Amino acid sequence: MMKQKERLRRTMMFVPGNNPAMVKDAGIFGADSIMFDLEDAVSMSEKDAARYLVYEALQTVDYGDAELVVRINGLDTPYYENDIKAMVKAGIDVIRLPKVESAEMMQQLEVLVEKAEKSFGREVGSTNLMAAIESAKGVVNAFEIATSSKRMIGIALSAEDYTTDMKTHRYSDGQELLYARNVILHAARAAGIAAFDTVFTNMDDEEGFYRETELIHQLGFDGKSLVNPRQIEMVNKVYEPTKKEILNAQGVIAAIEDAKRKGSGVISMNGQMVDRPVVLRAQRVMRLAIAANLIDEEGNEIEE
Amino acid sequence: MDEKIQDIYLTNKKMRKKWQAFLEERGIKNFAENEVNLIQQTIGIFNEQDELIATGSLAGNVIKYVAVCDVISETKGARFNKIISELENRLSQVECFHYFVYTKPMYQKSFEHVGFKLLAATSLGILMEKGTPNITDYIASIPHFPIKKRIASIVMNANPFTKGHRFLVEKAASENDYVYVFVVNQDASLFKTNERIELIKRGTADLKNVVVVNGGDYMVSYVSFASYFIKNTDQIIKYQTMLDAKIFKNNIIKPLGITSRYLGSEPFSHTTSLYNDALKKELGNDIQVIIVPRKKISGVTVSATKVREAIATGNFGEFTDYVPKTTADYIIQNMENIQLRIRERAEN
Amino acid sequence: MEIKKSAIAGTLESSDVQIMLSTGKNGFEFELESDVAKQFGDQIKETIVNVLKKYKIENAEIRVIDKGALDMVIKARAITAAQRALDIVDTPQWEVL
Repeated sequence: MMKQKERLRRTMMFVPGNNPAMVKDAGIFGADSIMFDLEDAVSMSEKDAARYLVYEALQTVDYGDAELVVRINGLDTPYYENDIKAMVKAGIDVIRLPKVESAEMMQQLEVLVEKAEKSFGREVGSTNLMAAIESAKGVVNAFEIATSSKRMIGIALSAEDYTTDMKTHRYSDGQELLYARNVILHAARAAGIAAFDTVFTNMDDEEGFYRETELIHQLGFDGKSLVNPRQIEMVNKVYEPTKKEILNAQGVIAAIEDAKRKGSGVISMNGQMVDRPVVLRAQRVMRLAIAANLIDEEGNEIEE
Repeated sequence: MDEKIQDIYLTNKKMRKKWQAFLEERGIKNFAENEVNLIQQTIGIFNEQDELIATGSLAGNVIKYVAVCDVISETKGARFNKIISELENRLSQVECFHYFVYTKPMYQKSFEHVGFKLLAATSLGILMEKGTPNITDYIASIPHFPIKKRIASIVMNANPFTKGHRFLVEKAASENDYVYVFVVNQDASLFKTNERIELIKRGTADLKNVVVVNGGDYMVSYVSFASYFIKNTDQIIKYQTMLDAKIFKNNIIKPLGITSRYLGSEPFSHTTSLYNDALKKELGNDIQVIIVPRKKISGVTVSATKVREAIATGNFGEFTDYVPKTTADYIIQNMENIQLRIRERAEN
Repeated sequence: MEIKKSAIAGTLESSDVQIMLSTGKNGFEFELESDVAKQFGDQIKETIVNVLKKYKIENAEIRVIDKGALDMVIKARAITAAQRALDIVDTPQWEVL
């Protein structure tokens, strides 16, 4: 299995947790991560129903290589603890906590997750965590949240509640999110975890969606949360590496292998030392290129 | 997936207008107060452009004002199912697991697909039910008599039980092996259902072949049948009385082996006489329908209305003769309470 | 265990199943409505019965309207309905899952 931190996370598709048709088919669209939603997409009277539907789906449906995430209900709700228990028992990859404002909230979650892991006989530490930041306070505390636990794999901006908290709303140019995006991204990078951008809900505005995706790609986000499977292909297109990037990455990979063969601890290319960030970027480009079907698993170009 | 279910508040004038226009476009044109005011909740499905594309309402355990936009025909059924599902979930939240729908005959199939069963159909409108306890459970809960006997039936509100009612029951009891007295289940009456049942039981205790049973959900006042999908007032009465007769005919007569139904004649009320006509027409081929002239005391027809009026005005003493002793005793014992109820009802 | 109150779970939407449970006297009494009742009726009932047995429910009236649900959906809805009917929604029996 790929190390959690090295995964591609271009697309995290939201799936309403109480909708059998969507839960069943969630794996067929090729999202990097599938996020089953027990929170906003589920009405209060159906919280229990959604929990068991997602539970059963996780036992039986083959979601391929996708990372499986569940957004549980917030810790101020009566559903929180049962959501944690059911999802840990189900063997979910990642629990996403909404409305996170402090490291303490994540640590509190971690305690309950560990307890559930022990009581259901799951390996302690095998359930990863991520935080959704949805308020000014959450943005201000982004770094402490990002580093709150060894289990953290990412933090995500949730713009709907955030803009409400900021006494504004979403605009098409995204100026109102610029600070939050940068803060979250920096916190994630400094902590060595993934950064996810918020959802874009207007399905009729394809141009706007591309504009926003290009912006967050440019900033350096790992990817974006999505509400519609149609958006997956669009995000992947934006994240597709260029021919030049691939060529460069192939060079770096070749240099690494060369060094390995020689038994050298130093990787060099074109007479320059290749340092770690360059290696990591090359590996990421290769993963993106493989995912985009531009090269095969061995790193060779696929002819069109 | 981008279609959302939302609450519709009919108290919001703009929303109410939108809702009504949507229904009118789909042939539902009756928004009489007695229909709309009973609605407790209304939900709608809205599309991304915030247009209403489906709606449904609840009035107690009755689903009504259901309409679905059919511009895209593949999604029509899905939206219909979504609306009904949501209404059922809302009913379950108030612990209601048995509900009805009154609708146009053309929608019978759609409701059957989501588990509703037909109770009765007329050309103008039909009644279906779903859930538990249903008509089968109701019939099973009633005492059964040996078949091939003469088994009479009377449906009465008895608000309260008078000598007129007693006269009708007595006549049926003397002409048959057994008599069912079904009591209309409706707490809208001055005397509550349990009180009315108790007074009938006390007033007929000497008649050993009479059994008094609660009419349950199947013998309610026909005027309470939802008719929102019928515009013409004359047709409404026709539909309501016919439907009532059909419910009785299709669901009650056979399993209980009923051979006759006794009715009090109705010289004063036009609708009740239409009702009697409908019963005679609908049931006449299956069982005997016997219309018994109303009992008179000193030349005046006995009626529960007069008894209630007398209680209200404090003149009950002059009318004790209208009711059996059992009823009179009860009224006298509970006079203050009953008068208080009358005042409260007047205020509402 | 005895069913404490009637309960309903699931919806009438495509790929889902609506299950209504209420108290019964004579074991499991089914009323099933499904386009695939002929081929899959017994399987649907079996899935539900297995869930109810895990909750030690012995008597129930079960009304099912199937809209083409997968087995895992039927199981999930049966679990939800059972927990609601037993009034243990907030304290689920984890060993049943």
